[in-house]
Amino acid sequence: MATAALTRAKNPTASRVTGTLGAEVEGIDVSQDLDQEIIDWISAALVEHKVLFFRDQHALDRKQHLAFGRRFGELEIHPFAYGLDVFGNDEADPELIVIDHPGGQRNTGTDIWHSDVSFRETPALGSILRCVVPANPGGDTLWADMEKAYELLDDETKALIADLEAEHDWPNFRRGMINRGVDEETIAKFREKFPVMRHPVVRTHPVSGNKCIYVNSVFTTGIVGMDKDESDALLTRLCRQATIPEVQVRFRWEPGSVAFWDNRSTQHYAVTDYQTRRVMERVTIAGDKPF
Amino acid sequence: MATLAMTRPTLTKVTGNIGAEVEGIQLSGDLPQETIDWINDALVENKVLFFRGQTFDRDQHVAFGARFGELEVHPFAKHLGAFNTTDDHPYIIVIKSEPGNRNRGTDVWHSDVTWRTEPSLGSILRCIDAPETGGDTMWADMETAYVLLDDETKAEIENLEATHDWDNFRRGLVSAGVPDDIIKAMDAEFPLASHPVVRTHPVSGRKCLYVNAIFTTGIVGYDKEASDALLAKLNRQTAIPEVQVRLRWEPGTVAFWDNRSTQHYAVADYDDDRLMERVTVCGDKPF
Repeated sequence: MATAALTRAKNPTASRVTGTLGAEVEGIDVSQDLDQEIIDWISAALVEHKVLFFRDQHALDRKQHLAFGRRFGELEIHPFAYGLDVFGNDEADPELIVIDHPGGQRNTGTDIWHSDVSFRETPALGSILRCVVPANPGGDTLWADMEKAYELLDDETKALIADLEAEHDWPNFRRGMINRGVDEETIAKFREKFPVMRHPVVRTHPVSGNKCIYVNSVFTTGIVGMDKDESDALLTRLCRQATIPEVQVRFRWEPGSVAFWDNRSTQHYAVTDYQTRRVMERVTIAGDKPF
Repeated sequence: MATLAMTRPTLTKVTGNIGAEVEGIQLSGDLPQETIDWINDALVENKVLFFRGQTFDRDQHVAFGARFGELEVHPFAKHLGAFNTTDDHPYIIVIKSEPGNRNRGTDVWHSDVTWRTEPSLGSILRCIDAPETGGDTMWADMETAYVLLDDETKAEIENLEATHDWDNFRRGLVSAGVPDDIIKAMDAEFPLASHPVVRTHPVSGRKCLYVNAIFTTGIVGYDKEASDALLAKLNRQTAIPEVQVRLRWEPGTVAFWDNRSTQHYAVADYDDDRLMERVTVCGDKPF
């Protein structure tokens, strides 16, 4: 009762960070047991701004992080984030991914534009990423608004891709498993559980109805019905839309910063320009089948 | 007695490779030489410096710029509408956007005036009016952009030269109705320039990629197809987030960039009033 009154008393505000996407949210302590109306407000703001930034969430611990995520849907256990040093499921809470980099490395796997787990039949709705130890300096994350990226395509390309489908796979995780000496039988089981998945190249957002480009450089392996050259050329062109500054926002992390992105309408890129340790924790909300 | 001793400014790096916020300096023309030297060193090291909360007028802007070298009069700005000089302040370029009159052309990665034999050392850009959201500027560290090339490409471009032209301004001058004879006189004054593809910074000695998407027209000795392909590949290095920094402007924000080692991009994600003024310091011949 008292808590509910308190959380209702603070009217949250969202301040847009660029002309296209991203908003800084003030007036919400995400560690609290929030009223449903605040959760609804966050859900609506997420779809509108595509990525929300909450600063100074110092009180947020792992249990609360997980609890906050569960308010938006079922949580995902990442199938491949085990046995990895720098991107691993927490043992006690496997829905929590700990991302712990020593710094001074490139090609971390996330320093490339991508949408998360698009190899799934039902890729994630969104992720909530908390900064535990920021790199100093560096280690920003960028998000790209793939709805704006779609809008900025020429009409000819829009017509070309309108009804196309693309294949999504997990070649990066397969390579990682082979490098770590994971046996073929285990990999075959994963293959069975996660077959090559087809999704529309132009996805419609289930809430807003907006169209977005839904191919990415990490997981999309080919356009259905095109030969390899044609497919590679089209994918390169579509993926490059994420590099247009007008579709981007860049976020500088501090201890206690939390970012919540809509994985259906965005891609992101974790910048590897840092030399110091960087620790982040992520909770991911399961999504639905793209259409 | 009042002393001119320098109050030590503080510098905070914004990313791992490029950009720093400087606090503790009010920019003006009468700073001690020690402070000017400090800014010069910080500029070469960080490639772009950001100063917040600056309150100065046009004369002070010009006086501050003049501490770093001779100032440039942009030869084309006086003929153009939204990228203009004023009669009483020829060293100041006024960059103005309004709703429905979106001043664009700088929403492409570029280094300034590379069609000159001696392109500028750097520019000092001041924000007078900013959109509530949007209108950021991004800079790219072309030294890191060079470092991140594969060895084969580095070897290929080591001794190449590229041509630089001002065709975008030529088109602007034609649309603005500037008479032919004036354009012809400009052609004579600013013939096609040629610069090394890999430039060496005159102060730091570091190598950087020195071609850009606006002014570089071709690789010397390459046919058009090969030249276009190589330029497209080199220009794409600016898109790597590891070489970038992004600044959100407020009235009173000033950015000072090293035009020798960076490129920049004015993000066109707004349709609102935006007013900026720029002073540019002359540079030397790239080698």
